[in-house]
Parts: sequence; structure tokens; C-alpha cells
Amino acid sequence: MTAYRLASGGLVDRSHGIRFTFDGATLTGHAGDTLASALLANDTLLVGRSFKYHRPRGIVTAGPSEPNGLVTIGSGVRRDPNTRATVAELYDGLEARSQNRWPSLAYDIGAVNNLMSRFLSAGFYYKTFMWPAAFWEKVYEPLIRRAAGLGRTDLPRDPDSYEKSWAHCDLLVVGSGPAGLSAALVAARSGLRVILAEQDFVFGGALLSEAMPIGGEPAYVFARRVVEELQSSPNVTLLPRTTVFGWYDDNVFGAVERVQKGVAVVDATKPVERMWRIVAKHAILATGAEERPLVFGGNDRPGILTASAVSTYANRFGVAAGESVTVFTNGASGYRTARDLAAQGVEIAALIDSRPASGDIAPAGVRLLRGGAIVDTKGRHRVRAVVADRGGFEELIACDAVAMSGGWSPVIHLACQRGGKPVWSEALQAFMAPDVGSGLVMAGAAAGHYLLSECFDDGARKASAVVEAVGRSVSGVEQPVIGEEADPSFTALWHVPGAKSKAFVDFQNDVHTKDLGLAVREGFGHVEHAKRYTTGGMATDQGKLGNINAIGILAGMRGVSPAEVGTTTFRPFYTPVSFGAMAGASIGEHAMPTRRSPLHGWAARNGAVFIDAGLWYRSSWFPKAVEKSWRESVDREVRNVRENAGLCDVSTLGKIEVFGPDAAEFLNRLYCNPVLKLPVGKARYGLMLREDGMVYDDGTVSRLGDEHFFVTTTTAMASGVLSHMEFAAQVLWPDLRVRFLSVSDQWAQMSIAGPKARTILQAVVEDDISNASFPFLAAREVRLKGNLKARLFRISFSGELAYELAVPAGHGEAVADALMRAGASHGICAYGVETLNVLRLEKGHVTHAELDGRVTPDDAGLGRMMGTSKADFIGKRLSTRFGLTAADRMQLVGLKSVEPEKDMRAGAHLLKDGVKPSTINDQGWVSSTCFSPTLGGHIALAFLKSGRERYGEKIVVWDQLRGVETFAEVCDPVFVDPENTKLMA
Amino acid sequence: MAYEYQAVHALDGTIGAIAERRANHLSVHRTTAVAMVLAVPGQTAEAAGILLSSGEFEARFSGPGEWLVLSEVHAPETLAAELSVRLGDFAFVVDQSHGRVVLTLSGPDAARILANGIAVDLHADAFPVGRAANVLCSHLSINLARTGNESFDLVVMRSFAEALVDDLKVMARSHDLSVDFATR
Repeated sequence: MTAYRLASGGLVDRSHGIRFTFDGATLTGHAGDTLASALLANDTLLVGRSFKYHRPRGIVTAGPSEPNGLVTIGSGVRRDPNTRATVAELYDGLEARSQNRWPSLAYDIGAVNNLMSRFLSAGFYYKTFMWPAAFWEKVYEPLIRRAAGLGRTDLPRDPDSYEKSWAHCDLLVVGSGPAGLSAALVAARSGLRVILAEQDFVFGGALLSEAMPIGGEPAYVFARRVVEELQSSPNVTLLPRTTVFGWYDDNVFGAVERVQKGVAVVDATKPVERMWRIVAKHAILATGAEERPLVFGGNDRPGILTASAVSTYANRFGVAAGESVTVFTNGASGYRTARDLAAQGVEIAALIDSRPASGDIAPAGVRLLRGGAIVDTKGRHRVRAVVADRGGFEELIACDAVAMSGGWSPVIHLACQRGGKPVWSEALQAFMAPDVGSGLVMAGAAAGHYLLSECFDDGARKASAVVEAVGRSVSGVEQPVIGEEADPSFTALWHVPGAKSKAFVDFQNDVHTKDLGLAVREGFGHVEHAKRYTTGGMATDQGKLGNINAIGILAGMRGVSPAEVGTTTFRPFYTPVSFGAMAGASIGEHAMPTRRSPLHGWAARNGAVFIDAGLWYRSSWFPKAVEKSWRESVDREVRNVRENAGLCDVSTLGKIEVFGPDAAEFLNRLYCNPVLKLPVGKARYGLMLREDGMVYDDGTVSRLGDEHFFVTTTTAMASGVLSHMEFAAQVLWPDLRVRFLSVSDQWAQMSIAGPKARTILQAVVEDDISNASFPFLAAREVRLKGNLKARLFRISFSGELAYELAVPAGHGEAVADALMRAGASHGICAYGVETLNVLRLEKGHVTHAELDGRVTPDDAGLGRMMGTSKADFIGKRLSTRFGLTAADRMQLVGLKSVEPEKDMRAGAHLLKDGVKPSTINDQGWVSSTCFSPTLGGHIALAFLKSGRERYGEKIVVWDQLRGVETFAEVCDPVFVDPENTKLMA
Repeated sequence: MAYEYQAVHALDGTIGAIAERRANHLSVHRTTAVAMVLAVPGQTAEAAGILLSSGEFEARFSGPGEWLVLSEVHAPETLAAELSVRLGDFAFVVDQSHGRVVLTLSGPDAARILANGIAVDLHADAFPVGRAANVLCSHLSINLARTGNESFDLVVMRSFAEALVDDLKVMARSHDLSVDFATR
């Protein structure tokens, strides 16, 4: 036995035993244990293998910075890799597994890397795996990842749920140690809305492992009383198990609450993790300070922990890290740990102080080596002895644990996440948070106050300032009585010279002092370069323990102050956050919202097959029982529309109503074609350009009154066009008196197309819609039989006699049903977007397949629409620039396949007959294709260089993806009824 | 042939019957008269004066010079016309009775449920009864109004109503929620 559970003491519930397993072995701990404390209590020191050299590693810390104690918790679909054993709450049945070892933790093949280490120096990957370049992705990277893998994830879907929540407060306090509790209490008593976030599952922070009594009672009892008072305040929200990981614009903090990570059985009605976004008027970071490890030869052997961790295991968990502990320190902290151990009756093999002299007093009977250092350690899977050096004289000291203290670094991470650089303090030998304004301040040890009394004072003082800043008066400040405290200072010791074996700086990424030396020698001495070169600080712990020592060592090698070396860049996240928490509830069908057309039920009743179109579900086609393929259905629907009539749901089009005395002028500037003189009761095709002269969107403009227009957009660009209009109205022309509003959801809109469309529609519409009284492009309100007001537009996308009928959305299904009944004897059919597409393609109408942002109106054959005599419109100026008017631009043409059995696909390129298939010989590209039942062959719309001059030319459609070449004839893009006789009928 | 156009609600067929109301309840209004009022540029104060002085209309802020107006007094078919008459040359009125779906979320956890999708501070001091705002709720833009200490109206575009109810159910996963059509 070396590490063991003390006979008494600690905050664990010794009456409540908890069974758990580690690598299959069943062990027992207590309620209140972390996995790490329970493993130590079971003398399980070896918990993992290191990343690169596969060295045996044990637990180093007792908190969230743990670099070594990374385990996989859970099994099957609930497997969490890389969980820090030092923060994992122990629960009944917890299954933990070590990582990065094969075949087992004790006998790990990868450990051969340790012997090969002279070939695995820093920068090794970059130097060795460079050539051939193609090998990186396919060979090297997968190999390196397999060898270096820190835990593995699973593909099966996570069965648990996650949640994202917003919270708001006057004051967010991060950390519940002495400063945090003190701050929260003052703010709470002064009536502020307070949120107190604590990453641990117990509130109290350092007070939980503090041996000094507070106000005459144990520190943890004091903490518990304060927490109870906070808990009973309605204006306080306590968030345990919550890590604040990021600080964002507007003082918004990201935090993750592990709601059900430490439980045996997951309650399915609750999330396992909750992502908080906390909007705080003010924040106080009482995040404490991190104890630095010391960098000495063999400092990574299991059983070597930070001194504060040794104290925490003893005082909070009642666990001794060893039977005989060597303490190695550069300041007061080591003495405190020695006192804590002595008080628990643990033997101290030696107390080694790197300083030649200090005012610190060692516990009675403890051997003190002043001006000494550890240069090497002995032992295989655990430390058995240390080699101490004093004045060149070496001594082997037997022990089974080492407590090391390299001084303290305030935890300032969050304060530096928005660009502020840490500031070096010569007095404290540490980087301090920059001044980032009154919205976020540091308190307690995080502000460099290491005495308990100072922490209480500082927390209260910083909170009082916040209370006053939000306009309230401070009340209820009372400071607890604390005994005399020792001077907490230390003398920086960045590394111990004369190391006899590897002295690790970054435990998790296996970076040792020699790697840093190599980095400096090879010209990577800048802290950001050294980081990338050695990978120091790039592991999941982000260098929380090691970075400061790396900076000190670089400073020493370069002969400058750590202030000059500076730190690497701080970024969210403070500790790793699961993807589940980040996705929250936005998974599966909740990944994005779905939009339902008001005619959805009608389409479903008529047997529609639906297709995702952006957020919409649109009816794609309406198969009959006998039809075996979508093509059969679409061919039938197309023929039926051309011969009889069809009804199609076009409710998804964007619809915007525009009002105001300047509405006409506004639209006239928005569209490239003239709108000003559009008569009331008429519709017109409209084309919008971007400022750069390319087509943005198309649709229709109908004038319902002098100052009242109704415009439609394509389905895809509905929200984009509305934003574009808002920009134009608010920024470009704020002087125009215009108002507009999306009415897309108010109307169910259906297209009735085909030679019998009027006959069918007239059966339902009260008003006279004969060709004379309702000619092509008429647009006005009509009354349906049964007294329903509707809007009717005689517009056509199919080339047929066609109307679009809009009715209030709730009545859409009933009106569509009525039209289908009225049309039954005329052979009406329902048709979907596939047929819509074939019909428009046969008629040569463009969609966003053509209008892809690289196309001018002239390219699309719509050049005549440009209202060049208009004073201005969006896109006018840049339309005339060089290149946009060139004669060899690609122009819209039609293509007819001359090989009837061969189809064409969008995306194929066009080549002159006889040339080598290559993009160098590119003549254009195919934008849309279909089989035309009307023409009985495959047709396409395409863009071809000087295309309008090349009708009749035979051209090669080169589809390299499918490896197909098809001959096609270039033709006018209007395949059907170019004289528009059907349209005007 | 008889012509009658039975209205279909956007959530018909998606909400089942419930045995009893739970602690928190989402009530879907079957018909509500809704209109958007857009003040004529330069006439915002005049339009607001008329709109906010009448008890017949519940005018909720929806943007500068824009209000979402609900009415218990007027029918969906007549609200927009009535508003047009009252507001005269000061505003444009657009009927949205079919374009919007109105939901009422009530119960002790109402604000907490909404905090799972809405970034606005819903504390009663910050968002008191009578306040309204256009907010993002999960993925969707809605108009949110506080109608009581523990009740909120959510007005959403019709095509997104089903998605919103689905989202709300997830947001309320830990909070005991029932969903039903309003009885009145």
C-alpha cells in the first residue's frame, strides 16, 4: 500500500460506499469522491499512457487542469472519452477505462517510443512526414492519429438530450471559493440578480480543502452556510457543475452545466448537459490560481502531484497520496502541504526547498533541505525514490509520492479571450489579467491575492463596486474572522538544471525541456512559434499547467524577461465542451425548421411525393398507381397540362406588399425594367439586379392601387429580397415614402395552367374572366362563388393559358378541392415542381439554375428589359462596365439532343465538335435539362459563347463526371409556342 | 355545385386531444383577427395615437412604426377594414389573420421554457406585462408579448407554426407541458 484512505477526515460520506470499475477491476469509493480521489484511495496511481512516448502517467492535480488523468467513462453509446478523472463525480456503477495503451495499461507496446525518443524530437512530424505530399492525408495522418489517439469516439447516435438556455443577471460570479462566495453574498444581500457558477459539484472552491478554521468553524462548514443563504435568496441562481468556458461580445458568457454527467441512471426528461449563454451586466472572475508543477528530471512519474492537489486529497477527500511523501517547493505552498500531511499523520520523507533561505517554518521533525532540488526520480509505474541534489551532492531519498509546488498563476483565461493580453507582474512572478473595463473584473487569488482574508475582502470590495454601478446601495458586508496566515510568496524556478532524465514541461503533449531548447536553436523561439514547433500547450488541457513554465524556460534561454516572451493567445473554450452541448436540441428534425405550405394537406390527399426545397416541403409529382417511375408521372402531368389543364401549388413564392406615395418610384429603382407606368390592375415580369449588374432575382410586380403593389419573388430568394428591400429603403433611399411587408404566409396561391384553365376557373370565380375582361397580365381582386375574396393574376410560367389564384391561406385547401372538382370533367390534374420545371424549360423560362449570380440580363436573353432610359436603378451603373457587354459572353441557348437515347445533365460543359475534351476548350455549360414529352426528346438550357449567333450548330455536351459525351443542336431556348398564341388565347 | 370553403388551421391534424391540462400549457388559438399596421412615413405618432387609445385593439410593437394588431372584438374578415377606416391616411393595413398563428404559453415555468430558445431577458422587471418584441425563438422569428405574470403570446408565421410547436415541446421537455386548441 502506498496511497490510501485516511482513517478519518474529508468531506466524503464514509457511510455511503460506491462501487465502480477501472479497466475492469471493481473498486470502492465514497459519495463525494471524484474518480481521481477514489482511484488514489485504491492505490491506483497509474491511470494512463502519455501521448507521444507512452510513458506511464498518474494523476497530477485535483481539478480541471488535469493533463494526465484522462479516462473514458461509460460504455457503448454513452462513452465519453478524455474525461478528466479529477473532476468526474463518482457514481454507482461508473465504468472507467484508461486510454492510449495497447494491449494493457501495464504492458504498453507504444512505450517503445520512449526508447526511440531521440528520433522523435520536436518538429519530428513536420520534418519526417512531409513528402510525398499526397501521403499526408492518406497515410501519415491516419497512422499518427492511431498511434497518438487520446481516446476514441463512437459512431452510434447519442441517446441523451442536450439543452441550450439563456440567462440574464446583474452579476455573474465565476467560482465559489472565498472571493466568489464573498462577492456573491454581498451582491445577493444588496438585491442584485446574481448567478454563481461553480465547475465543481460542491460549492466552496479552495475552502473545501482549507485546513484553517474560518470564524471558529471548519472552512467547509462556513462555505456551506454561505451557500445555504444564497440558495434561499430568490434573486440568486446557483449553477453547480457549470464551467464558464467563454467570454463573448456584450458580456455574454458561455457555460456548460453537466446536469446528469455524474449519475448512475439518466433521467430522459432532463438534458445530460445544458449550454448556458449568460448575459451579465457585470462579471467577477473568482477563478482562483493554478499551482505550477516543477520541471525536474523524471517529474512525470505516477505519484508526483502538485502540492495543493496532495493537500486537497488529504483535506477534502481524506486520501493520502502516499505513506512517505517528499515535498519539493519553491515557496510557502510546500510548507503548507507538509503541515497538512503532518496533521493527518502522513510521513514526510523530506521537504526540499529550492530557496537557500526563507521565513517558512517546516513542521516539527521534518527534514528540510534548503537550496536543494530533485534532479531525477526512480521507479517504474510509480515513484519509489527521488534523487535530490544540494550543492552538487546527490542523495537518494526513498518515498512513494512527491508533492511539488512551483508557485502560483492566477486563472485569467476568460479575461483574455477578447484580445486583451496578460500583463506580467514582476512582484508576483505571474501573468495577470489585463484591465478589460468594469464589465469583467478579477477577484481573490485570480487577482493575485493569495491570503484567505484578502480573498474575502477583495470579493466583497469588487461586488460592492458592482452594486453601486447598477444603482443600488451596498448592504450586508461582514468579514469572517481568520487566524494569522503565512506569507504566501515564492521564488520562480522555471526548471531544475542538471536533470538526469526527461524533465516534462507539458505533460499531456509530452513536451520536455530539450524540445524547447531545440525550438530556440532552430529559430522558433517566439512563444507562438515554439508552441507550434513543440506542440506545447496544444493538447486538450491547452497548457494550463505547462505554458507558464515553457514561457519561463524560453525567457531564460533567450535571456529576456517572461514579460518579453509573453503568452500564446487565449481563446474559448476554457475546458473541452462536448459537441452535444453545442448542438443543444438542434439535432435530427430539429436541426432546422420545416415550412408547410397551406396546400400541403391538399397535395397529400392527391398523393403527392414531397421534396425538400429549402425549408419547404413542396409537392414534387403526383404518381398514379400504375406509374412505375417519376418520369412516367411527370411526362403524363406535362402532357395533361399542355392538352387539358393542371393545378400546381405555388404558395411558397415570396409575396411582398408595397405601399406608399413613392412605392412606384421605389420599385422602379429596385427592378431593372420600368415599373413607374404599370397601370392599376396589371402585372409585369420584374428583374432585379445586384449592384454589380448581375441578375439577383426575378418575379412579378402587380399594381393593385395607385400606391399599392404586390410583388412576388422566387421561393429561394424570398427572405433575401425582403432584406434587400429593407436595405434599399433604410440606407439607399430613406427619403422615399414607402412601406412594405411580407405576406407570404397570408395567401395560398395556386397556378391553374392549360388550354382549359379559363373554363375551369370560371366555374369557381364569380367575376367575368373572359379574355376580353381579364386579358393576359391582368391582376386584380375577384370574388369566388360562395363569397370569398381572392386575388387573380393572369400570368404564365408554363407558356400555357394560365392564372395564379391567391386565397386566404386557411381556405386554400377548400378552394383547390373546388377547382379540382370543377375541372374533373375537363381532365384537370395536380402537378408538382418537377412538371413545373419541365414546362418552364420547354418555354425557355429561367430559374436560379440559370440566374446563378454570374449572369447579366443580356446573357439570359432578357437584355431588352433593361430600362436604360431610367435615371437610375440598382445595377445600372456597373452593367455598362467592360466585360459585361462583351460580344463573346456566354448567352442563354436551347439544346436538343441529336442522339435520342442520350440525355444531358446540368453541369456538363460544351465543346466544339472535334476538339480535345478539356476545360481549355470550354465553350459553355448546361444549366437545366429535362426530357420534353412535348418534343419527344431530351432538351436543355445552356450558356454558350456568343450562343445566339450559333443556332443550328452541332455541339458536344461533355459530361466528365459520368464520362459521357452527347451531340446536341444549339437552338432558340423557347422550344414551345414561340409566338405565344397559347398564352394569349 | 355548392361553394363553401371550410377553413383549415395550420395545426389541424398535428395536435391530439389531451386528458387534462398540465402545470404549463400551450394553447393554440383557432381563429384570431390579426393585422399588420404600417404607419405612413412621418405619421407614426398619429397612427400610434389612434391605435393605442382604443381598447378594441391590442397593438404590439413589431418594428419602428409597425404594429401587430390583434383583436378579440373584431372578426378576422373585418379587422383590417375597420383599422383602415380608423387610421385613415396615417397608416397602411394588411390582413394577416391567415398568415399568423397565435399561441399562448402559460404556467409557472413559462419564462424558463422560453429561455431555452429566446435570448431576451424575460424577468418581469425587464419584460413586464404589456411588453412585446420580435424575437428569435430557437430558429424562428416570432412576436412575443407578455400577457400576464406567467403567460406569453407567441405569434408566428403560419407556415412555421408546426415547427414552432415542435420546438416548444422540446424546449419544455423538463417542464410538464400540455398542448391543445383553445376552447373559445
